[in-house]
Amino acid sequence: MELNITFRNDISEISRLEGFIEQVAEQFSLPMDIVFNLNLVLEEAVANVIMYAYPKEEHEFIYLSASLKEDNTLVFVLTDSGKEFDPTLEPDADIDLSAEKRRIGGLGIFLIRQIMNEVRYERIDNKNILTLEKKL
Amino acid sequence: MDITITQNDNLVTVNIEGRLDTVTAPELENGLASYLDGSTDLTLDCGKMEYVSSAGLRVILTLHKALASKGRKFSLKDLNKDVRNVFDMTGFSRILTIE
Repeated sequence: MELNITFRNDISEISRLEGFIEQVAEQFSLPMDIVFNLNLVLEEAVANVIMYAYPKEEHEFIYLSASLKEDNTLVFVLTDSGKEFDPTLEPDADIDLSAEKRRIGGLGIFLIRQIMNEVRYERIDNKNILTLEKKL
Repeated sequence: MDITITQNDNLVTVNIEGRLDTVTAPELENGLASYLDGSTDLTLDCGKMEYVSSAGLRVILTLHKALASKGRKFSLKDLNKDVRNVFDMTGFSRILTIE
């Protein structure tokens, strides 16, 4: 069983993510705290692609699938055909710095790494493929 | 997301209702831009805030830095458990004033 959603590269599309995650939660009987955290992770991953993968005027698509492996690992695969971008190379925000010294960015990838058990990037056939896994 | 801004003497209270995410965070930033030049303290009342993502945290850190640099107080109050957890995970609980 795999659930899918397609986004246009328009930031307003992020609003559709919550409904998709609700479907995934219902399908795989996910606990509420995981659902909240999946919203954080997927918002970050999808927003990154919408903002950086394609030139704004191009109407391209971004594909997200969700499935559950036999070992009870939830797997999301995010695919786009935009420019090559490996988010796993981005440095984490340093969360031990004072407010004055903290940078404004870097939180998104930090949250993805905190919440998910595995984050994997591949570049295949001119596509960016980001696989995010969470053990249930 | 809906924001309601109330000013009493030296304190501006911003009531945030709904989701503070990639789509709505710019609305909060723009809505508060005119208060950054003032001299009042600022509190975000998060009692009805259901969700915050890193885009929301970025705006909150920006507000904190802007006010702190002028010696003004910035705080947040009434965070729900899930929202509080995001502040804890990212270390924001340690650097911001949360009532």
